[in-house]
Amino acid sequence: MQKTRFPAVLSTFVLCFAFWILLTWSFEIQELAAGAVVSLAAALFAARFFIHEKSFRLVHPRRFFSLLAYVFVFLGELIKANLDMARRCFGGCRDINPGIVKVPVDLPDGYAQAMLANSITLTPGTITLDIAEEDGKSYYYIHWIDVSETDREKAGDAIKGRMEKWIGRIWK
Amino acid sequence: MALRIVIDVLIAIGAIFALAGTIGLLKMPDTFSRMQASTCISTMGVIGVALGALLYAIFIMNSASTAIKIAVIALLIITVNPIGAHTIAKGAYRAGIRPEKRMETDDYGRDLEDE
Repeated sequence: MQKTRFPAVLSTFVLCFAFWILLTWSFEIQELAAGAVVSLAAALFAARFFIHEKSFRLVHPRRFFSLLAYVFVFLGELIKANLDMARRCFGGCRDINPGIVKVPVDLPDGYAQAMLANSITLTPGTITLDIAEEDGKSYYYIHWIDVSETDREKAGDAIKGRMEKWIGRIWK
Repeated sequence: MALRIVIDVLIAIGAIFALAGTIGLLKMPDTFSRMQASTCISTMGVIGVALGALLYAIFIMNSASTAIKIAVIALLIITVNPIGAHTIAKGAYRAGIRPEKRMETDDYGRDLEDE
């Protein structure tokens, strides 16, 4: 098991405390003190499970603004996929062609891979089942509602769209 | 007045996508396709309704704490949902659930057999 490190505890504490303030939304000194104590306890316990590498990687203007831009890129992909899925559902659910494809990922970092996998799962029409590593390259197994490409590279381009490039920018 | 129309339209959009997801959930032929359809509910359904509720809380209720709670709820649903969806789908596949109709391609099943 990993050791508890101070930067990890600090960043977990900041996250917990921000959440406390957002949920209570009162700025009396008593509430803030109670929040600080609870956040510190939670951070001491959870930091070693929660953060494994650099703790303040997102505190960096280029990465932060890439993250903000990614929200809009992702919303665009989400709306496109949702319209497609709603069309299939209202059309009687007969217009489907499901299958599981194996798709290569070009992101080196574990966080970035997890983020892309979750983004793909959130997009209606694709669910990431598993990640595998073969010969130093990572692959996703993705259940796809409408398999229009069986070639790995082309299927990857169709599923990942612009998301992979932007996530790469965030975690570079 | 215009604001109320915007709010109503946003909530209606959310409801329409939730309806689409529900129809898919009932009518899709196999487990994985049903999960795909249900993703519609937890993304566009939640985003539409939450945006409408957020505008309502900010401009009509004038309550910052309600607005922030709505934003946090939407954020939590959207960040936590894919983890559950991925785990359920993987678990279902590993437990031996397969679609009745043959799948177009099944790389996962092939690689699992190789192990």
